[in-house]
Amino acid sequence: MNTVSTINYQLSTERPFVWRIVDLIIGGLFIYAGILKALDPMRFAVDIDNYKTVPWFIGVRLAFYLPWLEILCGLALITRKLYLGGLSILAALTSIFIMATVVAKARGLDITCGCFGHASKYLSFAGHLALDLAILAALLVSIFSARKPSEVLPRQSVLFR
Amino acid sequence: MLKQTVALILLAFLPAIGEAIYYRHKVSWQSPVPASETVTVDLARSWGDNAIWVDARPDNEFERDHVPGAIRLNEDRWNELLGPFLATWSPEKKIVVYCSTQSCNLAIEVARRLRNEAQIKDVFVLQGGWEEWLKKK
Repeated sequence: MNTVSTINYQLSTERPFVWRIVDLIIGGLFIYAGILKALDPMRFAVDIDNYKTVPWFIGVRLAFYLPWLEILCGLALITRKLYLGGLSILAALTSIFIMATVVAKARGLDITCGCFGHASKYLSFAGHLALDLAILAALLVSIFSARKPSEVLPRQSVLFR
Repeated sequence: MLKQTVALILLAFLPAIGEAIYYRHKVSWQSPVPASETVTVDLARSWGDNAIWVDARPDNEFERDHVPGAIRLNEDRWNELLGPFLATWSPEKKIVVYCSTQSCNLAIEVARRLRNEAQIKDVFVLQGGWEEWLKKK
């Protein structure tokens, strides 16, 4: 009995701590990226237009919307409010972005993603892809590990967990 | 998870709409550049010496060929090239910025930065870019 309760205790304290650090890093990353884009929406609109996937009138509206979605999702990860929603949106955004980047590269488009303002220019395509895949992997593992405890939570606490 | 996702998606509209309202007069909602801020090759040529041509393409493309008399000013070396450009600029002259094609956005970015950062008003993006200039050479 003692052995079992010790193992349970270790699992419930150490694992959240590691994932808390991951949450803070990824949440902070998206908040930083979102703020940079929210400060200069026209530049981000041009960056979206560079991908040649959506017409300008949609791209410019996305340029105003997406940075705030990133910021709110980043805050959700840090504060753990609407946590699973934040994780799933960021995973979806990152997946779409990776696909768009690969397609743009395959089409021979010369793009800068604009994800981190001017700093993006100094990352190669491979560097971008590696960073995005790492973020996506961390998000997916976070979703997977966070979903398990929620099954035992009372129903009313699920929305603002 | 679905409820949280929807909640976040809806919440993000609030600051986004607020920011869009704040920028409503500064943004071109229908095209990357308003028609009033573009210029055709023929019109730009008619300005003669009253126009300064700015090449926003990367260095290697500029070195291959460019509009005669054009000044190199691209985003890759913005800080380095802005000074020499401003040395040739005078307020009565119009600026014509071009990049490779109609669909490239380098000229739009350079024109936008010239307006916002260098506070130059008469900045125009060349319709069709370098390709169009070559056709009408």
